[in-house]
Amino acid sequence: MPSSRSSRKGLYLLSRYRLPYLLLLPAVVVLVVFLAWPLGSIFYFSLRETPLGGASIFVGLDNFALLLSENRFLNNLAASLRYLVGVLALSVPLAYLAAILVSSRLRGAGIFRTVFMLPWIIAPVVSSILFRTMVDPYSGPITAALEWLTGEKFLFLVKPDLAVLSIVVHSAWRSFPFEMLLIAAGLTAISPELYDSAKVDGAGAWSQFRYVTLPLTRNQLFVAVLLITIWTLQDAEGVYSLTQGGPGYVTEVAGVRLFKEAFIYFNIGIGSAIGVVLILLSILFMILYLRVIGAGESQ
Amino acid sequence: MGNRKLNRRQLLRIGTLGLAGLGLGACTGATATTAPAAEAPPAAAAEPVTIKWAHYFDPLQSPAQKFNFEWMERMASTFEADHPEVKIEPEYFDWDRIDDRAIMDFEAGIKHDVVFGSPQLMAKHFEVGDFIDLAPYMAGWSDEEKTDLAWSPVWASGSNGDVQIAVPTGVHTRSLAYRRDMFEAAGLDPDTPLTSLDECLAAAQALTTDDVYGLGMSFGPARGTIELYFGPLIWHFGGELWDPEAKEASFASEAGIQAANFIHDLVYTHKVTPESAIGGTYDDAILVAFLEGRLAMGWGFGSYWIVSLEEGGFVKGCFPATDACAVDTGGVMVTPTAPGAQFTNGWTLSVHALSEHPQEAFTFMEHLIKPDSLYDFPDAGLPARLSLWDRPEFQSDFYQTWLEAAGKGRPMPATVHYAELADTAAACLQEILVMEEPVEDTLTRFQDEYNSKYAGK
Repeated sequence: MPSSRSSRKGLYLLSRYRLPYLLLLPAVVVLVVFLAWPLGSIFYFSLRETPLGGASIFVGLDNFALLLSENRFLNNLAASLRYLVGVLALSVPLAYLAAILVSSRLRGAGIFRTVFMLPWIIAPVVSSILFRTMVDPYSGPITAALEWLTGEKFLFLVKPDLAVLSIVVHSAWRSFPFEMLLIAAGLTAISPELYDSAKVDGAGAWSQFRYVTLPLTRNQLFVAVLLITIWTLQDAEGVYSLTQGGPGYVTEVAGVRLFKEAFIYFNIGIGSAIGVVLILLSILFMILYLRVIGAGESQ
Repeated sequence: MGNRKLNRRQLLRIGTLGLAGLGLGACTGATATTAPAAEAPPAAAAEPVTIKWAHYFDPLQSPAQKFNFEWMERMASTFEADHPEVKIEPEYFDWDRIDDRAIMDFEAGIKHDVVFGSPQLMAKHFEVGDFIDLAPYMAGWSDEEKTDLAWSPVWASGSNGDVQIAVPTGVHTRSLAYRRDMFEAAGLDPDTPLTSLDECLAAAQALTTDDVYGLGMSFGPARGTIELYFGPLIWHFGGELWDPEAKEASFASEAGIQAANFIHDLVYTHKVTPESAIGGTYDDAILVAFLEGRLAMGWGFGSYWIVSLEEGGFVKGCFPATDACAVDTGGVMVTPTAPGAQFTNGWTLSVHALSEHPQEAFTFMEHLIKPDSLYDFPDAGLPARLSLWDRPEFQSDFYQTWLEAAGKGRPMPATVHYAELADTAAACLQEILVMEEPVEDTLTRFQDEYNSKYAGK
């Protein structure tokens, strides 16, 4: 009976190392209270209808069925994917450029390191308000500059394409410092001899990046992209502060919808169901990235 | 010591103590945060009582808010001077989130004492129970006192039978603010009020120049879109936003189509309303644009902005109201919609259900709604007390126009799902405007989406 043998072994280990396990207990309790419990609550409430001031009732998968029958929710998911792709497409190249710059021996690289970190440390709501001010149709410096250059007034938060661009640029601007930090850490671990060898072999700057930098920072890139994916998919405050999901539902990403349902409309069940969908999406992306990076490593 | 083994009894003892500690902590927390106010023990006489006052006055938010903030500070300090045993602690919340916060915090066990609220969300407050019934505290009020405050629809929004959860601090109504100097420059008579939408459109066209838009409106992703523009226009064309009998949205009607088309044409056909109104905030689109001279007329100009008209020199002696109140370069006229096709509300004050000091909170509320306190409360807009209207300083044409506008107003639908209705209708209108979607289909699609979740509720 292998199972009873392994359980006996588990009990033996527990009694042998009871003090270490006991000392770990507070951390486990904290994790359960602050991580497992809320996570479990999301799944629990997603299966219930919870009216304010009343008892919640079990509704099975009704909340999910309602969401999936809605054009609005499908639009939320499409907006989230569009948002994610835009943020990654903009922030990853920017992060590489910045990482190469701050890891270089150029004079003033330290200043860049500090300056590049600013978007990361500013609160999303504050940077959203800053962005709103900059693209204000009458007093924004960005709109004024564009109007001076083109003779046209750019209504960033009115035109659907520009509104999407605004939330993407804002989020990419906020995300790239974190990606830069991780990639820069990977860059510093690459031996300069590898670049010297590449140069001897006649590799130019692009080839050095393609065949040395990129493969050797693959793991850092994976972690950065994964975390940014999760944060972007679940982002609500940045987008909500900037556009509130408008115009119409154009920029209403799933995170914003979740925020509205849970904290403005108090539809806890629907908000939780959206949360579950976002968790599942995040897991899906994690698996996808793992496969991609696994395929890359096997090559 | 490090290798010392614990026996089973010691382990059990530690575990039991730990669990007991956790349980005790949880119970203490629950008692401290969720005990009903009425059961809370009275505070010791020697200890100062702190009253948390949830407000929405951000001096940086708009020109008008600076004056509200100053009023708030003055109210707190004068009350503390009269009641040294009480300390007022203001808490800021965004104006369109303050009701949500009161509800959320009630559910989360976070205490407040005196809270500003919106009449259109009172149905939700009643359902949640986050505001206490003020009727027992008002038992000492005379009938005159009650009548003085109960005349406006704002009072009614906080009533349900004998239960009263909110008291008005003012009357918010909106008018059509206009620049008299621009009217004259365009060859229009500034003393002749516009009485129909056609007249309003014709004036807006005459007033529109390269630098000035004739008619300002706001269609941002906020409640104001439905309250000040889309809703009143639907009412004007004979429709309803929400059917109180069936308890479902009804804006996808012939009136809804006419209202959406009218707004669309203002922006894209006649070009008298700026397209930026679709993405901006209400304050920016109306107040700031009007004060900066980018608008000749501002539809939905609130009575809470009278102070800004005074500060901007558009009117003289009107805030605080004096009997010399007179218009100068700017004036107001009643919005040219049909009778009843206008929104009137106002801020209310309530006592949070988790307040540990409801009596002190109510006493502070009484201080805030005293005639002298409300008299120069900028955000009151117009006097909440009927008796104040008899004063000579409110007999000017300027204030009588506001009174007429207030009398024409009506509240928003009394549905628990008002926030959802407002957001849905605003998003629908935005989609019609910026995406050039077919009007009838879009209205129907959004209405069906709302009704699939909330019809009958």
